[in-house]
Amino acid sequence: MSRTARSARRRWLGETRYHLVGLTASLLFLAPLAWSVLVSFKPSLEARQPPLPPWPVEGFSFQNYENLAKFGAGIWTYSGNSLTVSAMTVLGTVIISLLAGYGFSRFQFPLKNVLFVLIISTVMIPFQSILTPLFLILTKLGLQNTLAGIVCVYVTLQMPFSIFMMRNAFDSVPKDIEDAARADGASVFVMLRRIMLPLVLPGVATVAIFAFLASWNEFLAALILLTDQKKYTLPVLMAAIRSGQFGTIDWGAVQSGVTMMMAPCLALFLLLQRYYIRGLTAGAVK
Amino acid sequence: MSTHRYSSEKATIELRDVRKSFGSVDVIHGLNLKVEGGEFVVFVGPSGCGKSTLLRMIAGLEDVTAGDIIIAGRDVTDLDPAKRGIAMVFQSYALYPHMSVRENLAFGLEIAKVARDEIDRQVDAAAEILKIGPLLDRRPGQLSGGQRQRVAIGRAIVRKPLAFLFDEPLSNLDAELRVSMRIEIARLHRELGNTMIFVTHDQTEAMTLADRIVVLRDGRIEQVGTPGEIYEDPDNLFVAGFIGSPRMNIVDAVYLPGQKVGVGGFVIQLDAPVASATENAPVKLGIRPEHLVLTGGENGLLSARIDFSENLGSMRYLHCMLDSGERITVELRGSADLVSEGTIRLTCDPQHLRFFSESGERLR
Ligand SMILES: Nc1ncnc2c1ncn2[C@@H]1O[C@H](COP(=O)(O)OP(=O)(O)OP(=O)(O)O)[C@@H](O)[C@H]1O
Ligand SMILES: [Mg+2]
Repeated sequence: MSRTARSARRRWLGETRYHLVGLTASLLFLAPLAWSVLVSFKPSLEARQPPLPPWPVEGFSFQNYENLAKFGAGIWTYSGNSLTVSAMTVLGTVIISLLAGYGFSRFQFPLKNVLFVLIISTVMIPFQSILTPLFLILTKLGLQNTLAGIVCVYVTLQMPFSIFMMRNAFDSVPKDIEDAARADGASVFVMLRRIMLPLVLPGVATVAIFAFLASWNEFLAALILLTDQKKYTLPVLMAAIRSGQFGTIDWGAVQSGVTMMMAPCLALFLLLQRYYIRGLTAGAVK
Repeated sequence: MSTHRYSSEKATIELRDVRKSFGSVDVIHGLNLKVEGGEFVVFVGPSGCGKSTLLRMIAGLEDVTAGDIIIAGRDVTDLDPAKRGIAMVFQSYALYPHMSVRENLAFGLEIAKVARDEIDRQVDAAAEILKIGPLLDRRPGQLSGGQRQRVAIGRAIVRKPLAFLFDEPLSNLDAELRVSMRIEIARLHRELGNTMIFVTHDQTEAMTLADRIVVLRDGRIEQVGTPGEIYEDPDNLFVAGFIGSPRMNIVDAVYLPGQKVGVGGFVIQLDAPVASATENAPVKLGIRPEHLVLTGGENGLLSARIDFSENLGSMRYLHCMLDSGERITVELRGSADLVSEGTIRLTCDPQHLRFFSESGERLR
């Protein structure tokens, strides 16, 4: 009797401790996000005050968002820029890494491994250190200060990880499956689309998420390569807001911008996380 | 549509001086073979001899370095696998993991643009034959090995191909399932009557399934023949040793004048001369384990010391050592349990003796 009571008590204690640790950890991670979101709904004046308490005291207000929307060429231009750049980066990265990954996984050609290592090793070069040459190259190509130019840079920067990822994804699909489809009468193209593509979809999702997050949040290259204010992406806009007009910083507008930038990332991640986790562990377990 | 054209045909498959090299490595060295329509041919040979490569070349999955492949009278050497009208079953099953069993079966037909209701009818018919009806809505990952193999075979038969190619389809199954699937494949061949080529390195499968066996070694054909011919009348030492379990015993002997053979201290009188053997020259004598019998009398052929014995219930294998140091195996049935150690004297009906030259060629 007392024995079962004691073991029940111990289990209760164990579970409580487990949940307490979990709760504390998630609070630590969520607090800054919640803070930003809460501050963004303060009236503009209150947002400039010392930040305690973090929630709006004088009632909710969309003033900050209105200020943000009015900034520069208008928020829709900048969101449009960011969305275009991210979408093109995702598209470009996925297409190129799919093809390259398939090639590296399935074909034998001279210097294949050297080439692969070469591509992977480019992650070791901090891209900040090659910004100047990049700038010069883009200028030569007439792509400086264009969204297409910055998309090219982002896609290139995504390549090492993405090609590695897609090669792994294709490697984990047995060659026999491909052969079976060919013997079943499928042309190469049909085989790739109906059999291979669905099987590497988790890898594609992972590559897409990484490409999206990287291009959506990237600041330095965008700041340097985009000089025209109308071409700014959201991170550059945020910096511009922060450095303020007439020397004052509109903290409320900054927080509302942060909130706005966060939303698509969270949505995308939650939407694709099932694939994302499968993609990262592909081939780990047969 | 194109799939239906083939339905009642029994395609011949012909290989004409077919060669294959991977880079500088020659794997198949000029191979000639004609498989008759409706025939069940089994390729056997040791691992790495090129069985899979040959099959994949017939399927069109591997380029041919030189030579021609003719299926149903049509030169398909440079044709896409899709256009050859063959179906292949892989050792690894190679089912499409993201599709249900029904979709797996239907895939080939969809590609051939067969009408939907016709596809359903074909799939149901195949499911009926292979008894996989209740599994149609599952994914391959939710099936056992035997069920997966049935689906893989089903995927091949729905397309009504000219010929079936099997690459060791049973080797991933456990012993019991292997036997029952083997029987089902034999039944399938009887019902469909298609040409089938079956690769295996299991000689029981080869002996039981084949109309003809092709024994391969290092990319060359060693012998082609019915299971009976291959077993009873091997062309060389390799075939003799490869087919049959336990292996044929090979002992050194001398061919003596007057249709006699000397082994160790014994001499045995043959019924007929071995025409191609030289008198007084050394030969290799091949004797199957089941042809050796115990004898007490003077007509012995071999004297052997029993090393150890294995009792399989219905029979017993005696692993023995000859005075010359050669090892032989004897298969005993019936009253075999009498001996299990000591020295025994063995003899063999002369008609069961096979002679080979020192270089391994058969002497007849
Ligand atoms: N893609 C390839 N590149 C280079 N060599 C290869 C390739 N595929 C097969 N080989 C070689 O060709 C030879 C025959 O291989 P194959 O797979 O046909 O043998 P197999 O008879 O099917 O053997 P197993 O019984 O083990 O399946 C082997 O020596 C193998 O190493
Ligand atoms: Mg093989």
